[in-house]
Amino acid sequence: HTHTHTHTHTHTCVPCECTVSLGPRTVVHPKARIIAEAGPIIIGEGNLIEEQALIINSYPENIMPDSEGVEPKTMTIGVNNVFEVGCVSQALKIGDNNVIESKADVGRNVILTSGCIIGACCQVNTCEVIPENTVIYGSGCMRRVQTERPQPQTLQLDFLMKILPNYHHLKKTVKGNSTPARS
Amino acid sequence: MASLLQPDRVLYLVRGEKKIRAPLSQLYFCRYCSELRSLECVSHEVDSHYCPSCLENMPSAEAKLKKNRCANCFDCPCCMHTLSTRATNIPAPLPDDPTKTAMKKAYYLACGFCRWTSRDVGMADKSVGTFNVVDRTSIKAGCNYCDFSVILCVKEKYGLGTRLQRQRPGAPVSALYGLSLKEGEEQKEVSIEPAQALDEVEPLPEDCYTRPINLPEVTTLRQRLLQPDFQPAGASQLHPKHKHLLMKRSLRCRKCEHNLSKPEFNPTSIKFKIQLVAVSYIPEVRIMSIPNLRHMKESQVLLTLTNPVESITHVSLFTCEEGDPDDINSTAKVMVPAKELVLAGKDAAAEYDELAEPQDFQDDPDVVAFRKSNKIGFFIKVIPQQEEGDVTVAFKIRHDFRNLAAPIRPSEDGETPSEVIWLVHHVELSLGPLIA
Repeated sequence: HTHTHTHTHTHTCVPCECTVSLGPRTVVHPKARIIAEAGPIIIGEGNLIEEQALIINSYPENIMPDSEGVEPKTMTIGVNNVFEVGCVSQALKIGDNNVIESKADVGRNVILTSGCIIGACCQVNTCEVIPENTVIYGSGCMRRVQTERPQPQTLQLDFLMKILPNYHHLKKTVKGNSTPARS
Repeated sequence: MASLLQPDRVLYLVRGEKKIRAPLSQLYFCRYCSELRSLECVSHEVDSHYCPSCLENMPSAEAKLKKNRCANCFDCPCCMHTLSTRATNIPAPLPDDPTKTAMKKAYYLACGFCRWTSRDVGMADKSVGTFNVVDRTSIKAGCNYCDFSVILCVKEKYGLGTRLQRQRPGAPVSALYGLSLKEGEEQKEVSIEPAQALDEVEPLPEDCYTRPINLPEVTTLRQRLLQPDFQPAGASQLHPKHKHLLMKRSLRCRKCEHNLSKPEFNPTSIKFKIQLVAVSYIPEVRIMSIPNLRHMKESQVLLTLTNPVESITHVSLFTCEEGDPDDINSTAKVMVPAKELVLAGKDAAAEYDELAEPQDFQDDPDVVAFRKSNKIGFFIKVIPQQEEGDVTVAFKIRHDFRNLAAPIRPSEDGETPSEVIWLVHHVELSLGPLIA
């Protein structure tokens, strides 16, 4: 079952399916924003999206929303990822078991494979595929490869799934996910 | 504007061996000599050693024995952060019955910042929580002995280095003369041959140009040099080191040998037993607001003066005379108020005392802008003399100082009047750039 507290924006001028779908056992904290502006977002299972995190599938900077020939690109996020408090993720493809730490900024042209850790406050705006098990840390965005991948946060997810309904109102989601749910 | 309150906008001159200009918050005041002192004109003495992460105190002799390193804490060799011990449960065979497996705790070191773990280097997990990094320095380590730092580490290990390092410059080095041996240990001969110049050098490996570089494996210079005895070029050989100890120091005036600053011995306490800092004795000038400064136009700058002592202080300001040797940085003419300014004493209970009569000082509104308990705001007039660059002004402050140190002679009335001396300080303000 999924707990959702999401915005979905649909632009009426450009006909496209801009929806967000979340897999089972994904926990989205209140005040997180998942905005599917230029295309749908598909999020896998077991993900943890913390407060004030922003996952946005936005238009690239130099393209106006009304211009033709703009195809909606799907943003896919794999399983067991952690988006910590206040991070911004625009990456179109995120694999499994990644951790984007607090206030990190991941650009649109970055592709995270699996086991990557983007450290706190690191901005990654390059156009590249980050190899597996890479850790980006420090103010100079130093990199190193770690030998273990970060463990899935099963304990945390179970705890949150029990505790969050006690403290927040939850809207019932309509099956099909095509109607926008304003919160 | 918060940038006007930055400490380096107002500098006080210290007349020591060197003339130093520093903000008042970084200066000390020797009340026996009645002079300002900076960090460069005091002597620093080590009080105690402590580890910054486990806050363990260590006497100096023990610290020297452990090479100023903590026994319990480690530094990440990758990012120099403090390592933390983590535990995992691994299935391990029971000692009595090899067929059954039970969950045992295995401990390893991990860094929370760069995610380095002790398993990266091949250090085995321990079943006990304490780690001991094995000292791998050995004469037969196969490293290049031409490297002086390697030589030093080897000699330190065998206790031969310390005597050598204390040789007086110019005196001949007598290598093993007069060393005290530990009981039961033989004197190990460390013979290091001097480097010899060779014509033929080892050729580079053949795939030097074609082999792809594995960048994550290459260590940075900082990571390499933090381990001077090995200086590994590969990241898989970076072993953690014990954490370096920090020390608490006390400061002593060089002229009168009195202590200016003496911290408490306990590493968890930030208080001081003796704290003769300048901000608690000397009135502090701060910039409050600056108008637009124009070349050769007179502008009024608002400054504040705060009185740190509990008695009333009289402050008068003077401009620097022509040809003043202290006045080297000023780029503008300044006119300071001619009258003496009176500052009320600092009264800690003033905000609670509702019945207190407001003190009547009869301030000239042209000079004093406002008055608030022990602080006044006053105007100075500035005429920038140069067309470009930052505007800097300098003037002298003369204030009275009551010396509360014990009087040498008891007075005849039975009361002890504190002596009043007048101190003069040279103050420089940096008022920022000119507006064209």
